[in-house]
Amino acid sequence: RSCILVSIGGKNIMLDCGMHMGYNDDRRFPDFSYITQNGRLTDFLDCVIISHFHLDHCGALPFMSEMVGYDGPIYMTHPTKAICPILLEDFRKITVDKKGETNFFTSQMIKDCMKKVVPLNLHQTVQVDDELEIKAYYAGHVLGAAMVHIKVGSESVVYTGDYNMTPDRHLGAAWIDKCRPDILISESTYATTIRDSKRCRERDFLKKVHESIERGGKVLIPVFALGRAQELCILLETFWERMNLKAPIYFSTGLTEKANHYYKLFITWTNQKIRKTFVQRNMFEFKHIKAFDRSYADNPGPMVVFATPGMLHAGQSLQIFKKWAGNEKNMVIMPGYCVQGTIGHKILNGQRKLEMEGRSTLDVKLQVEYMSFSAHADAKGIMQLIRMAEPRNMLLVHGEAVKMEFLKGKIEQEFSIDCYMPANGETVTVTTNPSVPVDISLNLLKREMALGGPLPDPKKPRTMHGTLIMKENSLKLVSSEQALKELGLNEHQLRFTCRVQLQDPHSDTDTLHRIYTHLKSVLKGYTIQHLPDGTVMVESIVIKVSSSTEDPNTKVLLLSWSYQKVNKEATSSKILQQGTDSSPNHYLRKCL
Amino acid sequence: VENLGEVSILKASSGFVSTNICLWLLNAVHQPGSHCVCLLLSRYKDLHVYQLEHPTQVIEWTSGKTVCVAGFTSSKNEILELRLPLKLFADENKGLCAERDFKVVHGGFTDAPVRCLRHIPGTRCVVTNDGLSSDLQVWDLGGDDSDVIRRTGSVDGSRGVSEGGSRIAARLSSQPQVLHGAESAGVRLTQLTSGQTVYTLETDSADPLSSLHFVSDAVFLAGCSNGKVYIADTRTSAAPQLSPPPPSSGESVLWWTDASAGPSCLDPSSCRIVRLSSCGQTVISDLRNPGGAVSRAQLDVQTRRCNADDVRVSWAPALDDCIAVSGFSGAVQIYSSSVWTTELQEAQPLFEHRGHAVSSQSDDGVPVFVTSHVWHPERPRTLLSAASDGSVHVWDWVDQSAAGC
Repeated sequence: RSCILVSIGGKNIMLDCGMHMGYNDDRRFPDFSYITQNGRLTDFLDCVIISHFHLDHCGALPFMSEMVGYDGPIYMTHPTKAICPILLEDFRKITVDKKGETNFFTSQMIKDCMKKVVPLNLHQTVQVDDELEIKAYYAGHVLGAAMVHIKVGSESVVYTGDYNMTPDRHLGAAWIDKCRPDILISESTYATTIRDSKRCRERDFLKKVHESIERGGKVLIPVFALGRAQELCILLETFWERMNLKAPIYFSTGLTEKANHYYKLFITWTNQKIRKTFVQRNMFEFKHIKAFDRSYADNPGPMVVFATPGMLHAGQSLQIFKKWAGNEKNMVIMPGYCVQGTIGHKILNGQRKLEMEGRSTLDVKLQVEYMSFSAHADAKGIMQLIRMAEPRNMLLVHGEAVKMEFLKGKIEQEFSIDCYMPANGETVTVTTNPSVPVDISLNLLKREMALGGPLPDPKKPRTMHGTLIMKENSLKLVSSEQALKELGLNEHQLRFTCRVQLQDPHSDTDTLHRIYTHLKSVLKGYTIQHLPDGTVMVESIVIKVSSSTEDPNTKVLLLSWSYQKVNKEATSSKILQQGTDSSPNHYLRKCL
Repeated sequence: VENLGEVSILKASSGFVSTNICLWLLNAVHQPGSHCVCLLLSRYKDLHVYQLEHPTQVIEWTSGKTVCVAGFTSSKNEILELRLPLKLFADENKGLCAERDFKVVHGGFTDAPVRCLRHIPGTRCVVTNDGLSSDLQVWDLGGDDSDVIRRTGSVDGSRGVSEGGSRIAARLSSQPQVLHGAESAGVRLTQLTSGQTVYTLETDSADPLSSLHFVSDAVFLAGCSNGKVYIADTRTSAAPQLSPPPPSSGESVLWWTDASAGPSCLDPSSCRIVRLSSCGQTVISDLRNPGGAVSRAQLDVQTRRCNADDVRVSWAPALDDCIAVSGFSGAVQIYSSSVWTTELQEAQPLFEHRGHAVSSQSDDGVPVFVTSHVWHPERPRTLLSAASDGSVHVWDWVDQSAAGC
């Protein structure tokens, strides 16, 4: 199940809210205790974003919003908003009615949940609040699937949901601009696969259908109203035309109406080619595919029927299945995943005897074929997406870390970015380098420029002294004097002093002169002055000599320097120590 | 219009929109000899088509379900261990298995091209050669605890040899050993753990090699590019047997060799050698009479440009008398040598896999060439083939002559 929590710039966002289809107990729900141990989630989340209508991405949404409690906005694309409730209701029916579960959301909860949905358009920036903005990108995969770009200030994250980089017959390939997010979060379930070509999958499908038809069998293809069904229809229509086949192909009418309705609404979401050709016509005007009537199921001879629902859990597809299951010449082709508890799931697990209502058993003698047409990004696709978006860091979810070291290495090598692979329940912290814009006062800038030397650049920064003033949301860098003036404060100067004792029988003046001469010879390159007021200055360190009152042979050197120049002067003092009479003087050493 | 050049939306005269199906399937319909449209889908029992990021020149089995492939660009390359799709092996419940993809189970990086890659049977070790020198690189494929292929060492080749790189052969033995060399003089058998040379082949002339094969635990063949084949026994220091090159026209003719049945061949002398020349002449000899020819044929190899590195000829391990040939074009051809005689006659392929050429991904007009092929060690008609555009196909062909359509 997909459910990712992101904290960025002080905002908390939930990405997807999926159900784990393999569990029957509470493990199928995401663990919301990571957000808060008890109580509603509204105060802890700024928004929830759903990438697409697959149940492992949105299956737990009504549970989260109505049973745990969340009243904030839920963002998803228009097609997702239209299709989600249908799938959720189907799923609910199967789980509650067929499996008799109790801790599950109700139909009313699904409706209430959908009222909180704010629909998204592609490539449109939406302000969730005055700091958080989101934008949806085309992801391919299924109708309405989106990748989401989330930005707070100068930090951003892109979450891909499920996507594919190779175009489908009815969907395009995912696309994103060079948005350079701080983190790109991608599914890696298929990261270590290399996909078999679409042509081979289609060849297999046509071969199976053809074999059945040739032996006089009937082929049932249970489908959801949208998406894959159209693709398979196009394929069969062409094949029938090419091979000059006569067996009838049917498409159940309920399907046609729904599909037409959705397609008209969401034409912008399909492949460009489909859009160009189907925008003006009813897309089910095929030469070889006709509307189905339930009485046709009893007609003799070969035929192909597309019927809903997709998992054989109710309705027309189940009715037809019951009629045709007993004949081994017939075939059922399942083009997608089936939820536990459905007939589809049972037959895909090899069950050949099914218990139906009223204690009757159904012998499954027809051929069962499982064909996966769903499009996911493989290793190559992930690399392509990284090339497109240019993220600063990569995060792979839902893979096994041990099996992804190679991919991690590949990404790190090719793009020189860090790649993280957290397990469920793990938190990853990524350091970003946000740029902070600061205004600099003209005076300060002029003064720094006047100091000369090379111009500063990102690789060679130059230290400068100034004061940072933060007023409302702006940052200003001014000189210390200006800042003090603005604040109405007086400037204070700190000076440090250090006393060094030396054994020297000479007079004060002579000692001073000796020090001066010595320093001049060893400290070349520094400004050393012997001033008339009886001091020696090394740059801005002042040195004075006076005799100790107890012993005229003990001289006391007074060194004094101002706060800023500490480092330089420490060097000078060291050399001073080395140059004078060798009598050990730990006082001196301590000072230095 | 998409890559394959076949999905295009046309407006038919009746105003309907129809979509053309795969050209590849159409080609099969128009293939000479196929008079029945039902052959369209019945040419292959199974067919899988993959696209690697970079082309490979090597395909090597590392188990019954996994192969290694590797890049050969002049800079950084990847070595990948791929697991074949589960659907291929799900013989009984094939319908219930939807898994059609390759799984990258292990991967590693190398800084040089990989021109030759050999798995050491009974280990998780592979040995590679970069085609630039005769030294070998030794790799650990890794187990369940890591998916990274790591370099563990190297094996020195003969000094003073560089052109063409080394050929490598290995067979199951108690101590991991590898047979390698770039020329006939200097082929050595090296123990991997100690680096010690256990055997060195000594021949009168140093002929560049095109391949090395073990025909039994101790006996191996060194196939030379000039058509000579040396047969040597690693247990003795006796001089190797020499099978001279078949008579051919032209000095610039290159030869490739394969030997049938390796370790499973109980009697090495009943093993057969096939030699293929760059003009398509094919000669089959018996190890009992290496100088003679059991049969011959002239194959139509359509040489436009022949890259010596790409050509492969191989005996089918689980089919009698079948030979596969590739590297001269974008096709892999399967021949049945049972109908060949000692007279040089033209032979027609039993099957031709033209998928690489027809579904080529390269759009710069450069023709696609098959760079490698291997037979599955047990499944009689399953092969893998790779081409210069990075494609890798797994196919199980149907013997049309037996199908009787």
